[in-house]
Amino acid sequence: MLKIKLAISNWQLAIGKILLSIVLIFITTTPLWAQDKIEVFPTVPYDRFIIFQTLAIFWIAIIGLIIIIRMKLKEIEKIQKMGIDKEEKDIPLLD
Amino acid sequence: MKINYSLITRRTFLNTLFGGWLLTFCGGSFYALLKFAFPTLGKEPDFVVLNTKDYIDIPSNSTKPFPWGGVLGLFFKKDSGTMVALKGVCTHMECNITYKPEDKKFYCACHQGWFDEDGKNIAGPPPKPLEFFDVKVEGEKFIVAKKGIKVELPKA
Amino acid sequence: MNCQRLKNWFEERYDFEELKRLTKHKLVPTHQYEIWYYTGGIAMFLFIIQFITGMVLAFYYIPYFEHAHKSIIEIVTKLNMGWFFRSLHHWGAQLAIVVLFIHVWSTLLLKSYRKPREFLWFSGFILLGISIFFGLSGYLLLWDERAFAAVRVATGGAGNLPIIGNFIKAFLRGGIDVTGDTLTRFYAFHVSILPLITLFLIGVHILLVQYHGMSVPLSLEKKPQKQIPFFPNLFYKDLIIWLIVLGIVVTLSTLLPPEIGKKADPLAPTPENIKPEWYFLFLFQTLKLFPGEIMGLNGETIAIILISCGILFFFLIPLFDRKSSRGEKSPVFTWIGIFYTVYFVVMTVIGFLS
Repeated sequence: MLKIKLAISNWQLAIGKILLSIVLIFITTTPLWAQDKIEVFPTVPYDRFIIFQTLAIFWIAIIGLIIIIRMKLKEIEKIQKMGIDKEEKDIPLLD
Repeated sequence: MKINYSLITRRTFLNTLFGGWLLTFCGGSFYALLKFAFPTLGKEPDFVVLNTKDYIDIPSNSTKPFPWGGVLGLFFKKDSGTMVALKGVCTHMECNITYKPEDKKFYCACHQGWFDEDGKNIAGPPPKPLEFFDVKVEGEKFIVAKKGIKVELPKA
Repeated sequence: MNCQRLKNWFEERYDFEELKRLTKHKLVPTHQYEIWYYTGGIAMFLFIIQFITGMVLAFYYIPYFEHAHKSIIEIVTKLNMGWFFRSLHHWGAQLAIVVLFIHVWSTLLLKSYRKPREFLWFSGFILLGISIFFGLSGYLLLWDERAFAAVRVATGGAGNLPIIGNFIKAFLRGGIDVTGDTLTRFYAFHVSILPLITLFLIGVHILLVQYHGMSVPLSLEKKPQKQIPFFPNLFYKDLIIWLIVLGIVVTLSTLLPPEIGKKADPLAPTPENIKPEWYFLFLFQTLKLFPGEIMGLNGETIAIILISCGILFFFLIPLFDRKSSRGEKSPVFTWIGIFYTVYFVVMTVIGFLS
């Protein structure tokens, strides 16, 4: 039982590291957002690459967030199925 | 070295990951929003070019306003005939000042502050003297510059 | 982090236990049609995006007809990411209206309007009208040729209503014609009057949903319901869907920024092929169906009267659909609902293609 728990947490740590590195890249390129200046709009060809890169990073951020929320959701559903989230009635209070 | 237990609980890990990611995401988006919403702050000019003929003939002991960026500048011809230029803004709360020729003093109406001919704060709340500019004659133009700024005009 | 001390500080003053109990107890039914439950939340999320982008844009937009067009061009060319936020506001609006229509049709066909939820339908219908007016008033703020002509046609059309038509037309236009006064008026509507009314009505709408709970389709009502808690299960699902919607809006805004036409000139001839915004197309296609004169009466007036009757019937559907209020299947009204949906879609597509 403990071994399975350890294995799962190692895997999660690995995913966590990958996500963290993505987050760091995300943070370092956030100032790029400020540089998205379109000189003339909309006919003159603009610096598309910064915009596409920012868009890609944005999508990675959103998908990362969705994955994390799904993980939380699965967690909550697992807990609820086990039934351990309900408070016991008449539980003795420590005064 | 493998350890037999997990250093953090699944719940803590998940919650920290969620919170951190969400914070970064919201922070980044909010930063982008702020970049748009924050106004471009105007800068005070380093120097201003004026036509000589507009200012050379003002009577002694009088002032003539000129634009210094978006702010009031005053061309001041003293009794002696010397021409100086200063920023016509009170050093207290940035109200516009006016010259009182009878008293030979500058007066700020907001809180009754007084400055003498050389801009020194003599009465009322103003904490500092008025800011004077350097005036240089370049042909038919006056170049009014901040003290210490070296002005290099482009060759027209 | 001294979270515990902060929590204690609040708990000494406010009773959060009651609130926490209530939120934990909120349950939402889960069944095969539950996907439609999300449409309302998505519409609200898009409206929040509109409010935020609208507020920032209002920092720079000049609502005077002489400068309006130029101020938008300045926003879009000179300001940091101005083009993006204007584009976001544009696409947020388009998607909000699409999602609103989906929300309306789904509640119509699932008969969520039946007793006891009639006021949800009524408040929702008014909100739909307000949203369309949001779209129209926002569109005029561009003050380009297309917008000018579109508003002229729209307010002129409203003027064809019998008796009250001229009053409405003059009230909307701020005069006899579309002028700078119309711009000022529409700006007041767009940034002040409509947002306040919308906030109030959305508040009422959401409170009523909390009061009544989510409506379950008639076919599944009698069976025992499986329920899931709102916090945190559905809340997380809501968040996921909202994030996807955000991604879609941002992608559309980045890849397809909207254009702006030439500045409006009240004396210039109307440009070719002028068409109103897509959510008005079904109305104008319907108008085109009617001949100029029917039995001596003005064809347009008759058309407008018929359309108004159709819309009024739509508004009062919960009162007409007696069978569903009793909890019985009401196939007639299902067909009426399908007819309204299909008519809207077909007319919009025809209007688009012609």
